[in-house]
Amino acid sequence: MKIKLGKYLLLGALITYSFISFIPFIWSISTSFKTESEVYLNHLLPQHLNTSAYVQIATKITPTLYSLFFNSLFIAVTVVILHLILGSTAGYAFARLRFPGRDILFYMVLATMMIPDQLRVVPVYILFVKMGLISGHPSNYLAIFLLKAVGALDIFLFRQYFLNIPKDLEDAARIDGAGPLQIFTRIMLPNAMPIVATVSILTFQGTWNDLFWPSIILQAPNHWTLPFGILQFQGQFQTDWPPMMALVVLSTLPILLIYLAAQKFIINMQLGTAVKG
Amino acid sequence: MATDLTELNTARVRSRHARNLKEYITGWSFIAAPMSLFAVLSLGILLYAVYISRYDWGLLGARQYLGWGNFTHSIHDPVFLRAIRNSLLYAALVVPLQSALGLVLALLVNSKIKGSNFFRATFYFPSMASSAAITTLFILLMTPAGLFNKILHFFGVNISNLFNQGQWLSDSRTALYSVIVLNAWTTSGTMMLFYLANLQGIDGSYEEVAKTDGANRWQILRYITMPLLKPAHFFVITTGMIGALQLYDQAILAGGADGSPNYSLMTMVLYIYNACFRQFKFGYGAAIGLELFVIIFSLTLAQRFLFGSRAWKGDN
Repeated sequence: MKIKLGKYLLLGALITYSFISFIPFIWSISTSFKTESEVYLNHLLPQHLNTSAYVQIATKITPTLYSLFFNSLFIAVTVVILHLILGSTAGYAFARLRFPGRDILFYMVLATMMIPDQLRVVPVYILFVKMGLISGHPSNYLAIFLLKAVGALDIFLFRQYFLNIPKDLEDAARIDGAGPLQIFTRIMLPNAMPIVATVSILTFQGTWNDLFWPSIILQAPNHWTLPFGILQFQGQFQTDWPPMMALVVLSTLPILLIYLAAQKFIINMQLGTAVKG
Repeated sequence: MATDLTELNTARVRSRHARNLKEYITGWSFIAAPMSLFAVLSLGILLYAVYISRYDWGLLGARQYLGWGNFTHSIHDPVFLRAIRNSLLYAALVVPLQSALGLVLALLVNSKIKGSNFFRATFYFPSMASSAAITTLFILLMTPAGLFNKILHFFGVNISNLFNQGQWLSDSRTALYSVIVLNAWTTSGTMMLFYLANLQGIDGSYEEVAKTDGANRWQILRYITMPLLKPAHFFVITTGMIGALQLYDQAILAGGADGSPNYSLMTMVLYIYNACFRQFKFGYGAAIGLELFVIIFSLTLAQRFLFGSRAWKGDN
């Protein structure tokens, strides 16, 4: 009897907290389909499925919704590709190749994780201004790419993973006459797909959601990303909540889809990086 | 015959040297791009930050050498002192809250209950969504006529009699605390996973032994599980604190660049933003950045000292 009661209490606590975890998101979806006058009635569901908020943000905002989405996606995808290329090659070199200075350089990589972005913001901004990268021109994207091209955590994760791939595989290929580049592309990388997925998801989510650097670097409206757009529109829309929530819903949608598709993988991968990190 | 062997040996040595050199070059070329980016934009940039911080540095570059001028100016600047106070108060409250919440959630979902995978996934989702989306949503929920006050009203609270009349984010007495609640909630999922990773690495036999010795659940938690979670405590508190001292997104979203109302949401990082991009005092901004770095670094060292150096390595 006592055990059963405890179990129900536990289940009650879990259910309550999962309501706290997802009711706000349902609320944002529901608000995005309401009319402005309906918002403060605080009903869970809108009276009618009103899509005018979506029409409004699709047609009436500057920069356009398309431009915000394009920038967010273009930047996130490019940064993912850069992270994969630079992270995997460096991770492989640190794990498997012998060269002078390897260990010191790897410590240097780890040391960069200690430096907060907020300390870098002023000198990075001034450097980019001097390089002419803070502008309304496409070179502005280059500033973001340079800044975000490489992640210390990725190098760490790739290195860790490559260290655990059996050396025999590599030796067999070497006897067959394969060079380091071939070993890397034909043997190491195909065996490292879980970590490729991990780095892709972590990087995509981090870049897609980032507000800090875009608010510093991407000052021309035609380069704004979705989070930065949300920040800017808050001033404009004020209390016009349905379009604001429509923007929130649309900007969260890609992350939600990734999460729904791979939640089990994401949870396990986070557990894994927590143990290693 | 003998000369043949020596020749063969030197040839072998030479070819080994060539092979080594080739591997060195491959290794260096594999890390060249990331290392140069790190060298310039992470490590070299620190020296540049120190350099900039010594000058009155406007939009057009260095104007006048100030020495420690920016640093001494900062400690007499009331808004900056407010920002330090806010950031430290925020960190002091949000770190214990998010850690405790994360620990409780981890202990709950770690039990062998049906659907624990579902609960894990649900609790973690707020950590995946963007701060811009969640904070905007939070502002809607916390407006005077919003859902939060409606729920309070449902439980019999008279909103108009509340000391802040339900203006959670637009009253300077409650704005920072509201953001604390928001972030304790959004980060609890991540903290839960950090604890869960540690919990799953714990050998079940300790608990078994304690059980056969007649320990109850509370005693097991207090004397067996908690001490074994030391690596997670350290990790959660350290990363939580570093993140908390860098509060920016939620502050600028909820309070604008001034951290309104009445600077109650002005944080150290938001202040750097103001100094640089609204007042164009880049030297001053760089100086504050360095001060923030020193605070974060010394607090991290202090925690490391407090937890002992072994905690960092963990047992896994």
